[in-house]
Amino acid sequence: MDSDIILVLVIGTALAFDFTNGFHDTANVVATSISTGAARPSVAIGFAAILNFVGAFISISVAATVAKDVVDAEIITPTIVFAGLIGAIAWNLITWYFGLPSSSSHALIGGVVGSAVAAVGFDAVITEGLVGKVLIPAVVAPILAFLVAGAAIGLSYRVVGKQRPGIVTRGYQYGQILSGGLLALAHGTNDAQKTMGIITLALIANGSLGADADPPFWVIASAATAIALGTYSGGWRIIKTTGTRIIKMDAAQGFSAQGAGATVILASTHFGFPLSTTHVINGGIMGSGAAKRLSAVRWGVAGNIFVAWLLTLPAAAAIGGLTYGFTRIFGTGALGPILVTLMALSLVVAAFARRAQRGAPVTAAGG
Amino acid sequence: MIATIVHTDELLQTIAASVIAGIGVTFAFSVGIWGAGQFIELSRNERPVAATAALAMGGLALACVAASIVIGIIVMTSK
Repeated sequence: MDSDIILVLVIGTALAFDFTNGFHDTANVVATSISTGAARPSVAIGFAAILNFVGAFISISVAATVAKDVVDAEIITPTIVFAGLIGAIAWNLITWYFGLPSSSSHALIGGVVGSAVAAVGFDAVITEGLVGKVLIPAVVAPILAFLVAGAAIGLSYRVVGKQRPGIVTRGYQYGQILSGGLLALAHGTNDAQKTMGIITLALIANGSLGADADPPFWVIASAATAIALGTYSGGWRIIKTTGTRIIKMDAAQGFSAQGAGATVILASTHFGFPLSTTHVINGGIMGSGAAKRLSAVRWGVAGNIFVAWLLTLPAAAAIGGLTYGFTRIFGTGALGPILVTLMALSLVVAAFARRAQRGAPVTAAGG
Repeated sequence: MIATIVHTDELLQTIAASVIAGIGVTFAFSVGIWGAGQFIELSRNERPVAATAALAMGGLALACVAASIVIGIIVMTSK
C-alpha cells in the first residue's frame, strides 16, 4: 500500500516536472521564429505544442536510457526515484528564481543519481551509461550544434549573398516554419522521453513492470500530453532570452540555428542520448551568431549558461541525496514522501508568489 | 574500456548525421531561395530559359529538403 502511494506521488511529480519542462522550453523552441518575425507568438506556441505532443510518440530510445542505463533499476525503490525528482524540481526552482539558465534534463538525471547514491551507494550508478550516454553527449551536443549552425549559416550567406534581401528574408521566414516545427518535434521526442523513462523506472522499482520492459502506452501518452500542455501554457516571460539576448538574429540565422538544433537532437535521440535541449538550441543560436560576427554573441549570457551547466548535475544530485535522507527519517513508508510533497508544494507556491511580487527574471531554462 | 564507455560508434554516427543533415538541409534550402531569386531576376531581364533553369534547380533543392526530412523521420520511427 505504502509503495503504491509513493508510486502515485512519483507519477504525479514526474508529470508536473514534464509540464514545467514544456513551460520552460517554449522559449527555446519558438523564440527564434518569433524574434525574426517568421511566426506570430500565438501561432508559434500552438504549433510547437502540437509537434511536442507528436514528437513524444516517435521514439522510446531515450526513455530506455533513463530507465535502464543510468541507475540499476533492480536495486532502486520508488522512494529513490521520488527523491531524485524532488532534487531536480528543487534545483530548477532555485535556478529559475535566480535567473540561471539551467538544464531540466541534467537536473533530473543528477537528482536520481544523487538519491540512488545516498540510498544504495555508488553501486547503484551505472557508470558506463552515465558517462557514455549522458555526460559525454552533454558536452559534445552543444558544441556540435554550434559548429553545424556556424557552417550552415556561412554556406547560406555565400549562396544567397547576392540576392535581393526581401526574397531572402521571406524565404528563410517560410523556412523557419519548417525548421521551428522540426525543432519542436525534436524537443518533444527527447524531453518527454525523460519523464517516460523516470515513470518506467519507478514502475520497475515498484515491481509493476519487468526489468526490461518498455514504457507502457499510457505513460507515453500522459508524458506527451503534459509536455504539450506545458509548452502551450507558455513561458512568455522567458521567450526573450533565447531570441534576442544571446544574439540579434536574421531569418537565415534563425533557420540555421533551428535546423542545427533539430538535427543534433533528433540524431542523438535516435541513439538514446538524453540531451539538454536548452544547451543544444543555445549552441545553435550562438554558432549562427558567431559565424557572422564573434562580437554579435553576448558571451556573458553564454557564460551563465556554462556555469549553470557545470553546477546542475552535482547540485541536483546533492538535493536528491538530502531529500532521500530526509524521507528515511520517517522510515521506509509513504509518510516521508508525503511530507516532502507537501513541503515542496508550499515552497513552489511561496517562490511563485515572491517572484510575482518582484517580477520574474528574463531567462531561458529548461531541457 | 574507454571505447566501451564512450559509445564511440553511436557518437560518431550522431556527429556525422548532424553535420550532413544540418549543413546539407540548410544549404539545399538556400539553393531553393537562390533559385526563386534568380527566377525573378532573370524573368525581369527577359531570359526565360535561364530563369526556368534556375527555378528548376531551386525546386530540385527544395525537393531534396523535403526528402531529407521524410527520410529522417522514417529513420527515427523505424528503430
